Amino acid sequence: MNIAQSIREFFLRNGMVLGLYLVIAVTFWILILIVLPQLYMLDFSFSKNLPPAKIGGPEDVHTLEHYEFFIRGSAQNTAAFNVVDLQVFFRTLLAAAFVTIFDLALCYPIAYYMAHVAQGGWARLVVLSLIIPFWVNEILRAFAFRIMFGSGGVINGFLIWLGIVDEPVDFIRENVALYAGLGYAFILLMIFPLYNAVESLDKNQIEAARDLGSPWWRIHWRVVIPFAKPGITSGCTMVFMLSAGALAAPQILGGPSSLWFTQIIYQWFQTGNNWPRGSAYAVVLLASTIVFVLLMMKIFKVRLGEIAR
Amino acid sequence: MRSDTILKISVAVFVGAFFLYLFGPLIIMSVTAFNSSAFPRVSPFECFSVEWFNVLVNDDKLMLGLRNSLFIGLGVVLISVPIGLAGALMLMQISPRVRSWYYTIVISPILIPGVVLGISTLVFWDRLGLMFNADYDSFFYNGIFLTILGQATFISAYSMLVFISRLQRFDSALEEAALDLGATHVQTFRKVLLPFLRPAIGSAAVLAFLASFENYNTTVFTIVSESTLTTVLASKVRYGINPSISALAVIIVVMTLFGAGVYEIMRRREEAQRAASTLIAKAGDAAAVLGRKRRPVYAEPAMIILTLVFVAGLGTTFFAGTVGVDQCKVAVKEEKRRLAEERIKERKLKSMFKQAAPGKETGSKSGGGTGKVEAKGTEGYKSIFAPQNLEGQVESDEKPAEDKGKVDAKGTEGYKGIFAPQNLEGQVDSETKATEEKDKIDAKGTEGYKSIFDPKNLESQSGTNGSN
Amino acid sequence: MSADVELDDVWIKFGEFVAARDVNITIKGGEFFSFLGPSGCGKTTLLRAVSGFLEPSQGEVRIGGQNMQGIGPNKRPTALIFQNLALFPLMTVWENIAFALEVRGVGKAERRKRADELLELIALSDQGDKMVHELSGGQRQRVAIARALAAEPQVLLLDEPLSALDLKLRQHMRTELRAIQQRVGITFIYITHDQGEALTMSDNIAVMREGVIEQVSDGNTVYDHPETSFVASFVGENNLFSGRVTEVSDGFATVDTSEGPMRARNALKNGSPQLSAGDSAYVFVRPESLKFANGHAHDNTIKAHINQQEFEGHFWQVFMDVPGSDKTIKMSMVNDGMELSHATGSEVSLGFAADLAVALPEGPLAAE
Repeated sequence: MNIAQSIREFFLRNGMVLGLYLVIAVTFWILILIVLPQLYMLDFSFSKNLPPAKIGGPEDVHTLEHYEFFIRGSAQNTAAFNVVDLQVFFRTLLAAAFVTIFDLALCYPIAYYMAHVAQGGWARLVVLSLIIPFWVNEILRAFAFRIMFGSGGVINGFLIWLGIVDEPVDFIRENVALYAGLGYAFILLMIFPLYNAVESLDKNQIEAARDLGSPWWRIHWRVVIPFAKPGITSGCTMVFMLSAGALAAPQILGGPSSLWFTQIIYQWFQTGNNWPRGSAYAVVLLASTIVFVLLMMKIFKVRLGEIAR
Repeated sequence: MRSDTILKISVAVFVGAFFLYLFGPLIIMSVTAFNSSAFPRVSPFECFSVEWFNVLVNDDKLMLGLRNSLFIGLGVVLISVPIGLAGALMLMQISPRVRSWYYTIVISPILIPGVVLGISTLVFWDRLGLMFNADYDSFFYNGIFLTILGQATFISAYSMLVFISRLQRFDSALEEAALDLGATHVQTFRKVLLPFLRPAIGSAAVLAFLASFENYNTTVFTIVSESTLTTVLASKVRYGINPSISALAVIIVVMTLFGAGVYEIMRRREEAQRAASTLIAKAGDAAAVLGRKRRPVYAEPAMIILTLVFVAGLGTTFFAGTVGVDQCKVAVKEEKRRLAEERIKERKLKSMFKQAAPGKETGSKSGGGTGKVEAKGTEGYKSIFAPQNLEGQVESDEKPAEDKGKVDAKGTEGYKGIFAPQNLEGQVDSETKATEEKDKIDAKGTEGYKSIFDPKNLESQSGTNGSN
Repeated sequence: MSADVELDDVWIKFGEFVAARDVNITIKGGEFFSFLGPSGCGKTTLLRAVSGFLEPSQGEVRIGGQNMQGIGPNKRPTALIFQNLALFPLMTVWENIAFALEVRGVGKAERRKRADELLELIALSDQGDKMVHELSGGQRQRVAIARALAAEPQVLLLDEPLSALDLKLRQHMRTELRAIQQRVGITFIYITHDQGEALTMSDNIAVMREGVIEQVSDGNTVYDHPETSFVASFVGENNLFSGRVTEVSDGFATVDTSEGPMRARNALKNGSPQLSAGDSAYVFVRPESLKFANGHAHDNTIKAHINQQEFEGHFWQVFMDVPGSDKTIKMSMVNDGMELSHATGSEVSLGFAADLAVALPEGPLAAE
């Protein structure tokens, strides 16, 4: 209530030197690293693409043209919408959702296995072995998938050996490699929230349900999954956000005709040389992720602190 | 009972498949690092060789990137650990009404996509530089500086989370006790809080360094004209791959395994110690632990074994790699030549009936010596033209090492063609290799594109590319 | 060296909540002073105001006559023993003890010497190099005291330091604390909710309820001459009868209770009797003041029915019902080796002397 008194108490509690350290470090972080850059990017996305000399000049006015471009396309575009970019945008979200569901389906049984089936040292080993792929550089992970899914790669070799296919399948063009690679990259982020949630479930509850004659799938549906909901929400949110925001894997594993939304942003910056437009697209990405997180928080009634851990 | 067995078996199969998915790619990639084949592959396994490790350490770009990555990692640790600590300490004493807002803000960098963080950092500092009329070589435009800041934005949040979980076990009465005994705030911090936080500082630093070291999404924007290991790797992987990248992966996997081993041992020790101390506290029997000394980490038996395996593995690979490789290579080359000749004969036979496609001719021409690609269009093109991609080189295989690929890239960004001489080796089997390269076709037309020319493109699409 | 501690018109507020209200206390140098009250009564808050961890919202804390306003805990001549002791877990026992010297920049040899002296004082001479977690609860307790004494405080503050110990050790430590206090001769301010601790160790006791000091006096006075109904119900056990004052005379009041009229001392506050005729009042009678009437004349008598008799070694506890009311009366009798005179279930008549009972104005009571 009384700011002056709060500040006095703060310094009384921490002393001058430490108090200043806390205030300066946190202010620097929040203002200079987090808030101001985001705000400036937002502002910048409304400005015209001008050479540095003209910035601040009379032509430097706010404009909606970049957002308009995102929705309507260039002035020459005859279609009602910027079909290409919008398609990429929604396809990215859809693909990220697909990757999320894939990871959830893959990780839920494993998390349950780790928490309630595996024992002692073996369980530890499983946990530890999960960490190892995670710490391998994401570029290298994508590289590994490119080796595997290449036309002369192990998968094709195996399929041909089995006689399932005669010709190598172009997994890269079909985006199989991309989805597999993205799913792989975020396994850990799905599995640990799930594991933490499932693990805290009292084994007796499962046994009680089993005792009452419930089949195993109903136990999961009625007991384990409702209990693990915060973990599921957290894992899904993280995986979705990271997939939608991924750049390296789509660049390396993406098929020739499929772009990821981040790649478009990247192009506006690197080759398109239109930073304000790139910023506008980045704002679109940021806004959609914020909406997504809020939606998840609302639907599954979890707090932010439960998602980001 | 029977359905139970089925369930058990299917669980085992699922877990097995999961771990295959988890480790398969890494194992395969690691194996390719030791295959002398110029393209990273497991089969055919030509010769066991460690040459790719040599290629790796002699790659100047990669080494420069590595140096930058190490430097940036250090910078990020030095910034984000103190910030994360301050953030965590602040959270502990901020009033509950402000707390949820504060938490939302400081945790948001974890949820904000990395590219967005990179972009916002880039444009913000660019603007500041403009405001202060700074030179282009000032820190406002320095890729290393921007990358450190951009990464520190979210890595600080990671380290904050580490500190929060440790601080939750801190008894703030200890701080008060120290103050009460006459210590200044700084003394209290140094003598009471910091020693307690030491393990957390260690893990936050390691976490920060690793997160920085492997970051790509933020870095690719903030790095501007500099490079890091990941950006060099990314451009390498995108525009032509060779097993030296696998070799790097092997090194990282081994280091990770080693680190995980060390971590696990440390954790066990700590657990054992904690168990012992609670036991003592309960029993109230002080004599039990008298004279018990802690063993240093390196003296732990498991640690010794781990180190031995590590060193032995390195040694064997090294010696195995130097012995008999050349001999094997010659044999493989001979075999390839034979295969290639067969193929040429076959093709000649075919071409008796078919007319040679015009594209093929282009291919053989450029493949002879200098491959020159001109990329036109409104935006810059990144064309990577690896000679071995060209079909028809089989004919010119006699003079391979002199080959030079030249890439003309127009537009804002110059491009890095990767033409390590070793790529040229074994070009005979370029046909199989060619299909592995992916071709990117410009989907939009107005935007610039990265075309990786491969023989297929050259055959039928060399015209299309220009007109796109 | 010891110093007076004065709390002058001290108020401590946390937002709307008042943790301490108009506290005026003078603690003399060298005194063993206790704050006694149920948990949440604000006694720890007062202690933190003395040690400097919080500033009073109003009023002054003076130590040795000096106003402590704006002086941090590290600059006050006080040392605090925390409820959980707050020994530094990453330091050895002697490093803990010598911490106050370390932060003053005293050299290591000198620190070690002083620590050894203090270890001797607390009879832990050979334990200096152990880690804190290797000590037993009682040993840790003594280390905490030694650590505080090493700072050479003029006032030692103790925040329920014995509450974590088991009963036997707790009783032993009471004696030991008192002995240490007499040896070092500094002011001890002791916080407790355990009246036994307060009564056995203290020179003076302040009884607190909801931020208000109810009474300040020595242990005997608090026990025998409570000034408020809260003190009477909180300190020691008491049988309570409520009613209306019918008459007051010569320091006595007659109260008409549902168990019959009772005559008891009219309790004093600041030297003057608190009750006058017509007031609502409580009569408090200690279990040990009740006697079986056995036909003798008593100032007061009550008819009761013995419900249960419990043997507690030194004492017999006798629980009785009053016919026609839901009141339970408790009486304790010294075990003099004689057979119990009355069987459980029998009707008895109880008597007590008027000057062993006290009548107080109706007011808040301690929670059971």
